[in-house]
Amino acid sequence: MNDLPSLSRRGLLRMATTAAGVAAAGGFGAVTNLLAQQSQSPDDEKSLPAFTGPSQNPYWNSVGPIVEYPQKFPLVLLTDRPVQLETPRHYFETAFTPNGAFYVRWHLDEIPNSVDLSAWRLSLEGSVERPVKFSMGDLTSKFKPVSVAAVNQCSGNSRGKFQPRVAGGQWGHGAMGNAKWTGVPLRELLDAAKIKSGALAVQFQGLEKGKGPEGHASHEFLKSLDLKTPVLDESIVAYAMNDQPLPMLNGFPVRLIVPGYFATYWMKGLSWIRVLDTPDENFWMKAAYRIPDTPRGNTTPEDVKGGAVKTVPISRMPVRSFIVTPDGESKLVAQLPVMIRGIAFSGYGSVNKLEISVNQASSAASALPVKSWTAAELGEDHGPYSFRTWSYAWKPSKPGRYFLHARATDAKGNVQPDEGVWNPGGYLWNRIETQEVVVGRAG
Amino acid sequence: MRRTAIFFIVILAGLTIAAAGLVYAQLDAGYYSQKTLGALAQPAQPKETDGATYSVAAYPLYTPQLAPGEGREAVQSYCATCHSTRYITMQPPLPPETWAAEVNKMVNVMGQPIPDEVQPIIIKYLQTHYTPETRKP
Repeated sequence: MNDLPSLSRRGLLRMATTAAGVAAAGGFGAVTNLLAQQSQSPDDEKSLPAFTGPSQNPYWNSVGPIVEYPQKFPLVLLTDRPVQLETPRHYFETAFTPNGAFYVRWHLDEIPNSVDLSAWRLSLEGSVERPVKFSMGDLTSKFKPVSVAAVNQCSGNSRGKFQPRVAGGQWGHGAMGNAKWTGVPLRELLDAAKIKSGALAVQFQGLEKGKGPEGHASHEFLKSLDLKTPVLDESIVAYAMNDQPLPMLNGFPVRLIVPGYFATYWMKGLSWIRVLDTPDENFWMKAAYRIPDTPRGNTTPEDVKGGAVKTVPISRMPVRSFIVTPDGESKLVAQLPVMIRGIAFSGYGSVNKLEISVNQASSAASALPVKSWTAAELGEDHGPYSFRTWSYAWKPSKPGRYFLHARATDAKGNVQPDEGVWNPGGYLWNRIETQEVVVGRAG
Repeated sequence: MRRTAIFFIVILAGLTIAAAGLVYAQLDAGYYSQKTLGALAQPAQPKETDGATYSVAAYPLYTPQLAPGEGREAVQSYCATCHSTRYITMQPPLPPETWAAEVNKMVNVMGQPIPDEVQPIIIKYLQTHYTPETRKP
């Protein structure tokens, strides 16, 4: 089910460059030359800028340095404490995102480095007839495991595209990933504890804690779902991710999976499931992760200032698609066929149509809207909440600059829009993205 | 016989390097960064005696320099309790009123006890260095 990640093109390129440097120096005794170059630290002018803005982030990923973290491949750094890491673009060539490449987003800084499963328990409490605690052994042996392929996407994915820019994690498009999650249906755990009549919501808390004072959002991170929400019956408490234990940074020992919903509800290190008989008024529900109650969650800075924007908690993910390759970092060659590949997904059900448009860029025409679309070939359907790969064979006829677009349609008929969205939280970005490529002469 | 073979391999390798040198002499090559990002100790193998304990190494910090100027120490001492100051440098340049709102949120919503007389110093610092007009690359 899970494709192994191939060595990235960028990685290979980097290796090749290093080898070339060593060969050149070794072959021609150019060591002194090398040292001179080193002292000028030329990397600054060859690196991405340290930040973007006030205009839109023009890059696919955010611009932070590439860093190493435990159990992780090199990822793009947003912040180091709490930890926020973004997945580089090339990992999205496959339907399943490798655990080592999966993005990381914590809210508070005291996150586990170590978990003792002889002491750890998942506690069901609150408005229930039989409060109960489950060990990892209970979860794996007392319940029949179920699996679901589901995309986990940060509510603020692509926030760096907002105009005007909004404060928050300045993600590119890489705060998302798809995995096969295996665990216990949430409903079976709730049934084991037996919810009392009159209960309203179920609240989730994980192992993260903050240094802020008790009773404040900086001290604990709590999320809840309405007991009437149908998604509760699709949610699972997962102890495996792509048939492996969860990486510590992705929520070991278990995390909540809420298929189709943004990741804010997918509590990492899940340890308390608390049934509430009063509405959840904590900051993370009442003030944060809310979207305007308008079409697409769209509003304007003026309306927000006016104070008239009614908001609701964020929930399902709008339909999206991405071209993963070609990524515009290298030239294509005229008359040489190239495969355009990417992924698509929606929180409202399977993507069943993916269209492509290829247009030669002229100085007069803007990239969007596009007039004509052609169907791409869809990859295997791993279920309604998974990434779906797609591909489209293209032979650039002549040299020049081209705009490539991909547009997904989901099972509910939702189509990606031409226009971006704006709201103060930086949520729900899902417009059609433009990929520019340059085609060179064949000879 | 074997010696001859090794000799030829060495010659071949030398020719390859020379050829590579000829090709790459025309290119930009041999840049190495002094920066230490990513220099992380490799983790030890887990031991059987760890029993039910599952551990990872310390999470590395990559905290950038803040712009030098009046108020920097106040920012470093009050804003880094719950989060590193990379939360500041990661942001795009933000308008002065947004920085004031952020600091007010940290005090009033998040509960960070910044003394009344220090709050304006922190706001002033952020507005002096991190707005569209003032932020330096």
